[in-house]
Amino acid sequence: MGMQSETRQVEQVDILVIGGGIVGSAILRELARYEASVVLLERNPDICDGTSKSNSAIVHTGFDAPPGTLEARLLAEARELWPQVIERLHIPYLQTGALVVATSEEELATLEHDILPKAARNGVTLPRLSREEILENAPYISPGILGGALIEGEGVIDPFWTTRAYCESAILNGAQVYTGEAVTAMTIEDQRMLVQTSGGRRFSASLVVNAAGLWSDEVARLVGDDSFTLKPRKGQFIIVEEDHGVSQIVLPVPNRISKGILVTPIVFGGVLLGPTAEEVESKADFATTAEGLETIREGIGRLVPSMTEAASAGSVRQFAGLRAVSSTGEYIIRYSTVCPRLLHVAGIRSTGISASPALGRYVGDIVKDALGLSRREYFIEELPEYLSEARAGEGDVVCLCRSITRGELLAALRSPLPPTTLDGLKRRTGAMLGECQGNLCIPRLMELFQQQLGRDPLALNKNAEGSSLVVARLAGEEGGCDEPHL
Amino acid sequence: MSLIYDTYDLAIVGAGLSALSVIETGLGGLRVLLLDYQAEPGGFLRPALPLPGFEVAWELLQSVELSGALTASYRATVVGLLPAFDESEPHTLVVRERQGTNQAQARRVLIACGSLEATREHAQIPGSRPAGVMTPILAHQLLARGYLPGHKAVVYGDALYVRATADRLRSVGLEVTLLSPVAVVPVRVEGFPRLERVVFRDVYAQEHAIDAHVFIYGAGMMANTHWLKGSGVETNADGSIVVDRQYRTNIPGIFAVGTVVRPSLDHADSLAMGKQVAAILQGGAR
Repeated sequence: MGMQSETRQVEQVDILVIGGGIVGSAILRELARYEASVVLLERNPDICDGTSKSNSAIVHTGFDAPPGTLEARLLAEARELWPQVIERLHIPYLQTGALVVATSEEELATLEHDILPKAARNGVTLPRLSREEILENAPYISPGILGGALIEGEGVIDPFWTTRAYCESAILNGAQVYTGEAVTAMTIEDQRMLVQTSGGRRFSASLVVNAAGLWSDEVARLVGDDSFTLKPRKGQFIIVEEDHGVSQIVLPVPNRISKGILVTPIVFGGVLLGPTAEEVESKADFATTAEGLETIREGIGRLVPSMTEAASAGSVRQFAGLRAVSSTGEYIIRYSTVCPRLLHVAGIRSTGISASPALGRYVGDIVKDALGLSRREYFIEELPEYLSEARAGEGDVVCLCRSITRGELLAALRSPLPPTTLDGLKRRTGAMLGECQGNLCIPRLMELFQQQLGRDPLALNKNAEGSSLVVARLAGEEGGCDEPHL
Repeated sequence: MSLIYDTYDLAIVGAGLSALSVIETGLGGLRVLLLDYQAEPGGFLRPALPLPGFEVAWELLQSVELSGALTASYRATVVGLLPAFDESEPHTLVVRERQGTNQAQARRVLIACGSLEATREHAQIPGSRPAGVMTPILAHQLLARGYLPGHKAVVYGDALYVRATADRLRSVGLEVTLLSPVAVVPVRVEGFPRLERVVFRDVYAQEHAIDAHVFIYGAGMMANTHWLKGSGVETNADGSIVVDRQYRTNIPGIFAVGTVVRPSLDHADSLAMGKQVAAILQGGAR
């Protein structure tokens, strides 16, 4: 391995983006508009595998962003950009609206004197609703509430779909995406950034964009820049299949730490309950806990009592995600303090999805000006619907719980940024997300991987390296493959 | 969507043990359409067979005649049921198969689509989410394809089927710990990216960590009825179909049998129920 990386050619690129989350991917798409070679590196086996993956999936209006900050400005710009992004990239989106409800006099006062004025300064109008008005339109909400407000512009999206669409649009326009490539070393030499990866690749870039999410402080430290630190904050979630009539996002009055525990419709159906907000030590701690799940059930009970039962008996899945809490409390979009060719895009808190269209454009402009880039003559705005390109004779169902067909799965495996893991296929198609959690169809999915991408089941991971579902061949068995060949 | 099937006297959804038992018992010349998600008959138990304790099921699978007045269609998944408006009309099934989505019509429908094994997620066992946590059906399918899911397993459950699964894993060389829900409950899953251990709590509230690469969770079944949402067929709180003593659902002409009515990992009474239903259907009940 060492010898190989020594002899491997250095790849010359104009811009290198570190991090294939929603932020890096949105930036990549904007950079693909310019006459420049653009490469994205993602340390995980698939894009959208960090903070971008496990969250409430809400496109916020930014009603409660700190007014006057870059975050508030970009969230406001993003509100204007979203409709076009959704249309051109064919992203499933539901404009559900959100109800903020107060369950105490104190919360009601915070709503009146803090949240509503702040929203007005952010350019978001929140009609104030009485207790009766809320209960009339949303009878599932707890009769114990005292009042609230409606945020019409809030909606839900699929974070993975969005990140994939940004990446595929960039690829369609000439950008390259490498997954499973962590940056291990970074130096500046003759005004060029030299970057080495875990897979032995070496790049020389004019500019590096650090969009490594929760890990962007570690990337900064590779060049000796310790100007900021990021701490993980864990959020646990419970997914419920039945929506119990809930058609809007329901949230408590936000406090200083977080937006609290929400009820959020999922764009593909079902409801998401959570998140918790727990300070944790490890950036790899994705474990759910009995206490965390109980906290969610309690929190939900105050907003939508009928959901409490569903949260214990009607859940198909629970998970945890980590969001980044920066030492500055704000977006960190600036050059490194020690390296003028390293541009940080960090500390995006929990507004990465919401701000992504504007973030991409904002960073794209900075890079364009820095490198004096000119626009490409052609940029394909519209993304083909790769995942619906099923072929004849592939209509049979593989994922029983979600009625996902072989054609839908093969279309994902044939797409420009195909999955490399079972979870990657899950996020692209929805397979394995139903009641049986893949126990029925995983062997058939393994066969499709083998058939379409030549992937040996022993080398096919669930997600991270070392997570294959099978570890050895059974002695003396051939092992049948019952998937019809193409 | 096109109509490629004729109107049948009876459509059976699922070719598992209860359906095979109905067919074996005999349907007296009714024109029958049998539809199943899988590539062959035998239901969700098929990947595990032959299995000690399930000899009768295995024999049935070997002996049943799926021909004559019966049309069997595999890899043909029923994804929806549109009941008839009145008794003079047939019921409609929406079927997904290789050629696309089709409709099938039948005067009577027998829902025999079984149950899915309850998962660790369904039981909300907290902890990490590593590779190696599965239900028995996945383990059996991997073994049937010639692969080992790991070398050290903890199997949780006390159904005959789950104990036989543990024996099967031992027979291919795995080190297996079998734990009963009567004695312990799983409280936490640990390890990532691969399972490292499962922590159980006993009746004295003592915690025990069992090192394992594979955690086979076999503690329950969930009726496979999510595809019936919106059909009007009445289900219990646990998802199983409500039937009367004649196996009739709340909709005339629609019957249900097997573990979709009474979820059981052991298919304890699937065969017996099948025999009773065959007699009822022969009698022309609607």
